[in-house]
Amino acid sequence: MKRRFTTFMAGLAAATSLAAAPALAGGPTSADIVNDAATPGDVISYGMGPQQQRFSSLDKINTANVKGLVPVFAASLGGEKQRGQESQPLVYDGTIYVTGSYSRLFAFDARTGEKKWEYNARLPDGIMPCCDVVNRGAAIHGDKVIFATLDAHLIALDRHTGKVIWNKKLADYQAGYSATAAPLIVKDMVITGNSGGEFGIIGEVSARNVETGELIWTRPTIEGHMGTLAGKPSTMTGKLNASWTGDLWKTGGGATWLGGTYDPETNLLYFGTGNPGPWNSNLRPGDNLYTASTLAIDPDTGEIKWHYQTTPHDGWDFDGVNEFIPFDATIKGKPMKLGAKADRNGYFYVLDRTNGKLVGASKFVMQTTWADGINLKTGRPNFIPANRPGAPNGAEKGTTVFASPSFLGGKNWMPMAYSKDTGLFYVPSNDWGMDIWNEPIAYKKGAAYLGAGFTIKPIAEDHIGALRAMDPVTGKIVWEYKNKAPLWGGVLATRGNLVFTGTPEGYLKAFDAKTGTELWKFQTGSGVVGSPVTWEQDGEQYVAVMSGWGGAVPLWGGEVAKTFKEISQGGSLWVFKLPK
Amino acid sequence: MGDPHLDRIKAYRRVNGICINRRSLLQGLTLTALASATSAFAAPLEKVKDLGVLRVGLYADNRPWSWDQGGKVAGIDADIARALAEALGVRADVQLFFAGEDISDDLRNVVWRGGLLGFQPCDVMLHVPFERHLMQAEDNVVFLAPYYRETFGAACSRDGGNCEAVPAAFKGRPITVELASIPDFYLLGHAGGVLAKDLVHVPTGYDAAAALANGSAEFTVATTAQIESAVADHADAGIKVRKGPLPMMMSPGWDIGIAVKENSRNLGFRLEEILEQMIADGRMAAIFKSHGVTWKPALSAQS
Repeated sequence: MKRRFTTFMAGLAAATSLAAAPALAGGPTSADIVNDAATPGDVISYGMGPQQQRFSSLDKINTANVKGLVPVFAASLGGEKQRGQESQPLVYDGTIYVTGSYSRLFAFDARTGEKKWEYNARLPDGIMPCCDVVNRGAAIHGDKVIFATLDAHLIALDRHTGKVIWNKKLADYQAGYSATAAPLIVKDMVITGNSGGEFGIIGEVSARNVETGELIWTRPTIEGHMGTLAGKPSTMTGKLNASWTGDLWKTGGGATWLGGTYDPETNLLYFGTGNPGPWNSNLRPGDNLYTASTLAIDPDTGEIKWHYQTTPHDGWDFDGVNEFIPFDATIKGKPMKLGAKADRNGYFYVLDRTNGKLVGASKFVMQTTWADGINLKTGRPNFIPANRPGAPNGAEKGTTVFASPSFLGGKNWMPMAYSKDTGLFYVPSNDWGMDIWNEPIAYKKGAAYLGAGFTIKPIAEDHIGALRAMDPVTGKIVWEYKNKAPLWGGVLATRGNLVFTGTPEGYLKAFDAKTGTELWKFQTGSGVVGSPVTWEQDGEQYVAVMSGWGGAVPLWGGEVAKTFKEISQGGSLWVFKLPK
Repeated sequence: MGDPHLDRIKAYRRVNGICINRRSLLQGLTLTALASATSAFAAPLEKVKDLGVLRVGLYADNRPWSWDQGGKVAGIDADIARALAEALGVRADVQLFFAGEDISDDLRNVVWRGGLLGFQPCDVMLHVPFERHLMQAEDNVVFLAPYYRETFGAACSRDGGNCEAVPAAFKGRPITVELASIPDFYLLGHAGGVLAKDLVHVPTGYDAAAALANGSAEFTVATTAQIESAVADHADAGIKVRKGPLPMMMSPGWDIGIAVKENSRNLGFRLEEILEQMIADGRMAAIFKSHGVTWKPALSAQS
């Protein structure tokens, strides 16, 4: 009965939207998506453009009037599934598409907030996520809206009805794979990374036909593995055993769990890779390529054009998945095509995005104990050997070291923004450290194994979170906003000289992009860990963000937990505008 | 770790034909609630008896203890689970689950909270390390009934040469080992890492030992139970079991027992009694023997 009703409603929604906007029935093309940043009337990609600068040219809401911003509506995701809402909304054709926790996708009327349809992925009840059941957003193309699920499927729905058009298995969830990142659409292909933390998984980037979901190419991220193109083996990633011992490359890690960006100028995809396994770095000598790296990949063939490794031979769980954002700037009088990445390891890297050469690297957190700067000639960190967790000696645990950032990173998944106007990057960062050691004996699958122990702790009295404006040319921090609880949401910059971001305390806040002065805040009722967007509709500028506390942070107790113990869960889409 | 902390997924597999759907049972129970008014508020032991089923959580892919054999849960722990249910006069609902990153994940998902996506907690979990630090750290569960002593050992293929030699003597020959296990770290680090290039990583210690049967590997380090069961399953393969201890092995072994939710003590105590009876009358050793493994009493049960 319930199902029949839903189908009826979905059919009704389809009929309505077709009738209302016949010109848009075809939906966004790949060219539209590449051009997303230049069309403020919609948001049709994760990051507001495939470069993911998260910058809007809208200025109707600006430093002068933002204090008047008020809610238009809040739409609940409903149900009991109120966990971390890390999603970024998409806006197209009068509809807001947003993913929710537990692999759900919703379509809301962008004017009224009324729900048009809801899709609930049917997940096997035996999937046991260690942390949370988040999803970071969808992609839109033609008549489809596409998202990835916790059981590692990629699902294309009819954006008018929420009906499944195709559903492809990305990987085997029983082997430890999952998927939470927003897919990237490039040249009529859906490009996805993979995720999963089970020992033995191998990172991969893959491209599928957006119309059918059929596989076009795959590119493993670990040296020695073979890529595929059109169903046939293509080339090997790197060189077998060049930076790995024995057969450890077969199980080397390097998951691409946060997805990637695309730059049409260089025609390159940029994907970050996760940390290597096994955990104890003393047992896998070598750089362990291409873990903890950014890879530049040719979208037409899946070939790696260049790589840059941020943490060679990682020993602190500093994975390198963070987004690499293309931008242009003049360095020493020379206009350059650049890209920037704020890494888990606490350094903000600027690379020549045509060849991966390091241009600059500077700290964006209070403290980096594991390295004393990055060598601009070699591109490698100046490691501090004494601050690498020691190997266990027989039955004794290895030396405990204090490491900062903690393994949750100077910056975790939450995306930064780049303002074309100020030329600054706005980095949602966290100042925290950890005591970390290698344990000779821990237990996994009921058996003794060698594990790691860690305790996360704040390193400042007044804050953990810090939104920082970084000048990519000088490497200097221009301003910072300190937040008591860890920051875990994305950032948005606008031509109105504004920067928006959310806090676990429940606020969506707006700052002056030049000075960092806080100009506006609104309490959404639960922690904000999603990414805000803005668009123009009926001549007015709108701002939207998801509210719903969760993600990885609430898992960690101790001192850090004190900063968020009173925050309740939620699951709502909030939309704001100025009063008329 | 890394991605894992955000996105790690632990899978759990329903084994068709073995599991009984607890929720449908509960629904059935609601209908007959008038007839059995005690059940709703009964203590855990009485609840299990009223429902007529004992839900037991066991590790998937944990041969010889528990694994899916053609849709049926096989193994030493599976046999123990069925014996426990039989002694209570109820059916066994044996649930295989995939291991989390560490034992805390498993206890949370299987014993005291359940999975985020609907996996119902089990009445009891077997094969839980019985160890003081763990007991102190996990106050949502009660650890009881240590029933076996796990240890590490080594074995060689028929043509593998002197199995009593130091492991470094196997340099240049294929050595199988379970990925990211203590034997893996032991062999990777052994004698300054001389064996690192010779290691062939496989998913389980049983696989590592079984690879000795066809000569695809010449040496392995695994748990004694994994080695003994592989030897028994390949009785004609001439696998040689090392007799001497492994130099510098970091683990002296550990006890395994059962875990129940903190408020299920009366069920836990009853199961402990049953296990003690099984040990006393030889049924425990017989179950182990049927899988080729020599039962060894837990150290903590001997004091």
